[in-house]
Amino acid sequence: MAADPKMKFLVVDDFSTMRRIVRNLLKELGFTNVDEAEDGAIALQKLQGGGFEFVVTDWNMPNMDGLTLLQTIRATPNLKHLPVLMITAEAKKENIIAAAQAGASGYIVKPFTAGTLSEKLNKIFEKMGQA
Amino acid sequence: MTASNDSNDLEALFDSIAADFQPTPAITPSAPVAASSDGDSDDLQALFDSVSADSFAKANPEVVPASPMVESGETWPRQEAVFNRIGHMARLLHDTLGQLGYDKLIEKTVSALPDAKDRLAYVANLTEQAACRVLNATDIACPLVDDIDRGAHDLGERWDRVFANQLTGPEFKQLAIETRGFLKDQLPEKTKATHAQLTEIMMAQDFQDLTGQVIKKIVALAQDLESGLMNVLLEVLPDTRRTEEVTNLMNGPVVNAEGRTDVVVNQEQVDDLLDSLGF
Repeated sequence: MAADPKMKFLVVDDFSTMRRIVRNLLKELGFTNVDEAEDGAIALQKLQGGGFEFVVTDWNMPNMDGLTLLQTIRATPNLKHLPVLMITAEAKKENIIAAAQAGASGYIVKPFTAGTLSEKLNKIFEKMGQA
Repeated sequence: MTASNDSNDLEALFDSIAADFQPTPAITPSAPVAASSDGDSDDLQALFDSVSADSFAKANPEVVPASPMVESGETWPRQEAVFNRIGHMARLLHDTLGQLGYDKLIEKTVSALPDAKDRLAYVANLTEQAACRVLNATDIACPLVDDIDRGAHDLGERWDRVFANQLTGPEFKQLAIETRGFLKDQLPEKTKATHAQLTEIMMAQDFQDLTGQVIKKIVALAQDLESGLMNVLLEVLPDTRRTEEVTNLMNGPVVNAEGRTDVVVNQEQVDDLLDSLGF
């Protein structure tokens, strides 16, 4: 993996358990620079603060959901380059299509495995390397 | 304010009643006037009684020739009609619900829902606690296993040097002492501590028994409610509305994907779908 282990991640999920699991999995993969946000609105605030290089977000959250967060990121000049990986229980085809059209970098359905997360991250890093 | 025809009609009706309203002391003793004064439940009861009495009187005009309706008949014809209609509707609704057993259903629902709410909160609570216990245990166990891994790796490399004749006598002696210490003290201590955390993870699953029981009860309640409410819906809902699907993008996990073509069931299908769309 060519990705920088110091890369700063933002994990967005309204359940602390899921945030902890994603954080632990990222740690296993060598990424220890991880911050958390419990909904899209807080995430956006933190992102505006700068320094983040990767966003992992849930879909269904209070205040601001993951799709709106993704759309807002893509519409904000200083954030739109950020890779956004969605990890969500939403499994309708129209959800996946909507996320892809909004510019999601990857889509993982819950429940998921450590292997899936690693695979999707690598795929995104590959694309980032090409760009 | 009055967008629909219904509200227009109601407003017209209200206006006509308001226009007719000319309080005269002579009329006050009659039942309808008493009912139209400040409404608390006694007044409502009085209204209901008077309306029932009126409808009874109408149905049997010969029995009560000197009813209040006749007394106030000239001043109150419209109000009479309105009160009558409302009274009849209330009675009809009440009777229908009773006949269909919905009054019992509603009563049961009202008492069962707070209980179900508490039970679900209990489930959420227990599962969250369990998740925390497991995550805490792995947080403790992972460094222990990492230590063992590192220690074994380090000693292994030094033993490789022994076999390659790269170690001096004192170094070899030191390695032997450290290896003994690792095998006799560090390893048993750390495996024991890891084992304790594995036991903790196992014990954290005890919520399954408790939540399983609670959830079964709520499933039974939901089934009762569903069948009851379904009957009500089937009676009141026009055919065209019955097939309308609820569509939105926040549905949560797919609980039962059988027979559905609008959902994916695993990551492979997500990837295939995205590939097919060129993402």
